[in-house]
Amino acid sequence: MGTLLAVAVAGGLAAQGRVPADVAAVVQQLVDRAAAVGLPVEPLREKAIEGGAKGVPAERVIAAVRSLAAQLGQAAAAARAAGIARPSADVIEAGAFALNAGLDQREVEALVRRSRPPYTPAATLRVAGTIAALGVPAGETAQVVEEAMDAGTAPGELLDLPQEVERGVAHGDSPGAAAAGLGRGQATAPGLNQPHGNSQGPQGQGKGQSHKP
Amino acid sequence: MKTEYHPLVKRLLDGELMFADLPSELRAEAEQALRWVAALDRTPVVLSARLDERVMAQVRRHAKSPAGRVWRWLLGSREIDIRFHVRPWAALGLAAAAAVAFVVVRPRFETAALRAPTYVRFIFYAPGARTVSVAGTFNQWNPAAAPLVPTTSPGVWTTTVALPLGQHQYVFVVDGMRWVPDPAAPTVDDGFGQRNSVVAVAAQDGGGRAL
Amino acid sequence: MRAAEPLSDGEVVHAILTGDVEQYAVLVKRYRDRYARYAARMLGSPDAAEDAVQDAFVRAFDQLAQCREPDKFAGWFFLILRNRCFAERRRSHRDARPLGMQDEAIAGPDRSDRHVERAEDRRALERALERLTPEQRDVFVLKHVEEMSYEEIAALTGASVPSLKMRMHRAYDRLRALLKELA
Repeated sequence: MGTLLAVAVAGGLAAQGRVPADVAAVVQQLVDRAAAVGLPVEPLREKAIEGGAKGVPAERVIAAVRSLAAQLGQAAAAARAAGIARPSADVIEAGAFALNAGLDQREVEALVRRSRPPYTPAATLRVAGTIAALGVPAGETAQVVEEAMDAGTAPGELLDLPQEVERGVAHGDSPGAAAAGLGRGQATAPGLNQPHGNSQGPQGQGKGQSHKP
Repeated sequence: MKTEYHPLVKRLLDGELMFADLPSELRAEAEQALRWVAALDRTPVVLSARLDERVMAQVRRHAKSPAGRVWRWLLGSREIDIRFHVRPWAALGLAAAAAVAFVVVRPRFETAALRAPTYVRFIFYAPGARTVSVAGTFNQWNPAAAPLVPTTSPGVWTTTVALPLGQHQYVFVVDGMRWVPDPAAPTVDDGFGQRNSVVAVAAQDGGGRAL
Repeated sequence: MRAAEPLSDGEVVHAILTGDVEQYAVLVKRYRDRYARYAARMLGSPDAAEDAVQDAFVRAFDQLAQCREPDKFAGWFFLILRNRCFAERRRSHRDARPLGMQDEAIAGPDRSDRHVERAEDRRALERALERLTPEQRDVFVLKHVEEMSYEEIAALTGASVPSLKMRMHRAYDRLRALLKELA
């Protein structure tokens, strides 16, 4: 992108009053570099705006944008290593989110690799990132999500996992314990989470299963 | 020594696969697993006939005690599990009494192509605050864009925001100065030494739902 | 005199909450045995189950005003009983004694999977189940003793099907490891 255009765009960011002009110029350079290697740039612009809105000093804003650009790059590399030749913006952003939440590049790569159809890597990574953001250690997070896929969880249901962890935390478990004990899910006040339909419960009401060879 | 069952064997145990579905190299493992499950004691259990009377004796005592009566009245009349903070997978809020239902939905992360907004209610507990707003990726972190208003419950503030599908980060801004993440929500590093809360809005047949 | 139509659970609960405490005996009679097997398998003996069921009925009475859907008293009561079983298991999990010499004798000298008799299987399995976490044992009993589907368990307990499956799959692995250890 030509210098004139870069200045104009940087001026645009600054003109919105959201980002000081000097920061905007540096951010634009980072944006250009990211775009040149095929990384999504919208998150970078958003991060700069966020820093401006929060009144963060210029160097800190630039550092954060730089760091985010690096995470986007790492995520893209992980996706490529996992076999996606041209990762989409969605996958890269989701990967960066997971990295920021505490997973490492290897774990991101493994999750992408395991996310064959019907699973989508972007959704898997966002679920993992959210679980890690709840405080579950990264290794356990990756394991929990992979196990869910191994257990044949429907892709839509994968997104219930963070909620389950959160419920456990709300009942006093540590995040790691909540992830390990997934599904305890019972409110302390009986009456919440009432079952729907006519679940009759145990002893004589269930159906048999066929294990017959 | 490998002690984990193959995932397919586990699905067989769950009743999702038939034995014939398994590759031959897994059949020995599967047979062993099925044998253990078959060995489970399933005989029905009948409790002693005196159980009813013992229960009723205690129940009558509890019913008589003044404390018992008051306690039951108290339990009956208060709102259960009032939640003041929006969940990270934010739920649609309810009335100003601030009993928040937890809407469990069937989400699907569509690509950014779907931009139909979903209304998400934010609820925040900040007694003593003069102003509260929510700022996030959905409003360019503008603390003026989405002010919350006080509810009839003291200290409880709320607003409803139209959010597009996707994942968003946000914080609450108290008195225009303190940027506070949602304490109950998942949080991520904002890159500036603070934390942002995360909310996801996902697609659902016929519209969007927050979760 | 013709017998009256049986009251629904909701009607009975309403009667109790408006003062007719004796009606609670109707609910006790209706549901006292329904969850007995579950409690027995969770706690390891019918005696322990009886204590838990009795205790759960009394708690349910105390909290009756909190039952949001009185027509589904059974499911609500089950959750109280289940919580009670969990609490009990967590207590005894902490105090769990390691397998004693006597247990090893019962397991028998022949360690090959092929030769263990059915009764031996059952005893070994019981001891292994003892060592599962309460949550794992719960889903295992509901699924394989009470023969409920994951969907039914999810509806009853409020957990999601994926998380139930994951707990169960971990339980399978843990059981396999324990059974190898005990054989």
